[in-house]
Amino acid sequence: MVKNLYVSLVNRTAWCACVGLVLTVVVGRATADVVAVVSSTSTVTALSKAQVADIFLGKVSRFPDGTPAIAIDHIEGSPARDEFYVSYAGKSPAQIKSHWAKITFTGRGQPPKAVSSENEIRKLTAANPQIISYMERSAVDSSVRVLVP
Amino acid sequence: MQNQTTRSGPRRLPRVLNAIVVAAMLCCAAGMSAAAEDPDASMFSFSGFGTLGLVHSSEDEADFTANPLRPNGAGYTRPWSPDIDSRVGAQVIARFTPQFSAMLQVIAEQNDDNTFTPHVEWANITYEPTPEFSVRVGRIVLPTFLLSDSRKVGYANPWVRPPLEVYSLSPIFNSDGADASYKMHLGEVINTLVGTFGKTDFAVPPSGNFDTKNLWVIADTVEYGALTVHFAYETSSYNYDTLDPLFNAFRQFGLQGAALADRYDLDNKRAQVITAGAMYDPGCWFLTGEWGKRNLHSAYGASTAWYLSTGYRVAKFTPYLNYAKVKADTNTSDPGLDVSGLPPYLTATATGLNAALNAILAANGAQNTISVGSRWDVMKSVDLKLQYDHIDLGRGSDGLLINVQPGFRSGGAVDLLSISVDFVW
Repeated sequence: MVKNLYVSLVNRTAWCACVGLVLTVVVGRATADVVAVVSSTSTVTALSKAQVADIFLGKVSRFPDGTPAIAIDHIEGSPARDEFYVSYAGKSPAQIKSHWAKITFTGRGQPPKAVSSENEIRKLTAANPQIISYMERSAVDSSVRVLVP
Repeated sequence: MQNQTTRSGPRRLPRVLNAIVVAAMLCCAAGMSAAAEDPDASMFSFSGFGTLGLVHSSEDEADFTANPLRPNGAGYTRPWSPDIDSRVGAQVIARFTPQFSAMLQVIAEQNDDNTFTPHVEWANITYEPTPEFSVRVGRIVLPTFLLSDSRKVGYANPWVRPPLEVYSLSPIFNSDGADASYKMHLGEVINTLVGTFGKTDFAVPPSGNFDTKNLWVIADTVEYGALTVHFAYETSSYNYDTLDPLFNAFRQFGLQGAALADRYDLDNKRAQVITAGAMYDPGCWFLTGEWGKRNLHSAYGASTAWYLSTGYRVAKFTPYLNYAKVKADTNTSDPGLDVSGLPPYLTATATGLNAALNAILAANGAQNTISVGSRWDVMKSVDLKLQYDHIDLGRGSDGLLINVQPGFRSGGAVDLLSISVDFVW
């Protein structure tokens, strides 16, 4: 029950609670559908948005089955990235930057490696079952698997 | 504590540690750069942060400062001061293997001796056999508060500075020693337990020295989604030699003098700081609160403090509202030596000693602060903050102000206006 409450809070955040956050990201472009993906050879099939967010925010470094998880990010300023963090973590680009400032300046971690090309991200993900990334749903092909939230 | 000893100032890293960190960085840099498998991933990562801040105080008979050990601030020394919040920090992390890394962080800010000479804030080597367990050796942050890690990184915080009432409960920010951290996952709950052991030693201008020995901190952080809860217990033995002449003089006055000296000196006295804090940040808004208590049997006595802060994010603006309060748990005055029984030639000396003791006791400030402000994320990696603080000083108290002048009236109110630009790279 607590979990349901939590999930509903996260969803609420994701769709509207934060007027400014969503305006910042969404206005000026149609909302595209960004999905979290792993290699089609991975055994991971489902992860909640909160679980995905924990990996990308450096809080968790393994998949639920215990295998190491490596997040690959889009570069700062890319629309997919901005939308991903709003949708999955409820955080604006500045909040993500601030989150990593907190962690980086204690030596407790580094942000995920960022790659500029969606094709490159898909290629890297397909080749390594430890990698988790995200992309526009339209960019998904059979080499990667969409994680069911 | 609040008006004298605070913060790790410009002190030298023990030479051994210094040598280890630098040698590790250099030798491994040479040995391993050729072996890098991923040409994109450099072994070194450089980053930095900074704040350019300006503070105005309405009080011209005392100085406001974020760090009570500093020599001056805004108010008496100058109405507008850039020294309180401004700083630049640079950091390098060298990742030799997935298990071994070293970090060095250097900060330039107003030092206790009024210079801006950069000092080593943190320098340590980390061994991390698994992502859940790590051990660090060197100069390490003390995890006493919820925001200990980022208290100097303005960009990481919603406010111009963490609330002084709570964050000045402990005068030390880092220690030279070791820590161990263990992270546990219980479903979606993440629990991180950290234990730190070390010591500190730094000069207090003009000629004093403050050191702590047997410094232990146990901290536990629980994260569940948007909620973070933090508990910590810090204990150490404080030794502040600047007070020695005063209490040695008290000891010349027989048993009653010795009793006062034993009670109030700061000569290997055990200090304990206990904190509990929580932050809820679902994205659009946040609520943060922290409570802390310091126990110390000395003229720098015991205090209890807490704050509550909330903010709401509207586009690139995050307006916030804070309330913070600190009160002294020990007496802020003492009758001192009984001068009536003394020979006349000692009366003046005893009266002077009593006055000196009471000046220290009175500095165990009580105050509360209401702050309103806003963060504005101006552009990528840069924010601008504007904050107004209204400080109400406790009855007869100088609060957390320093450089209190004879014309100052205790127990009044002070208004502050702060403007800061924070950046990271």
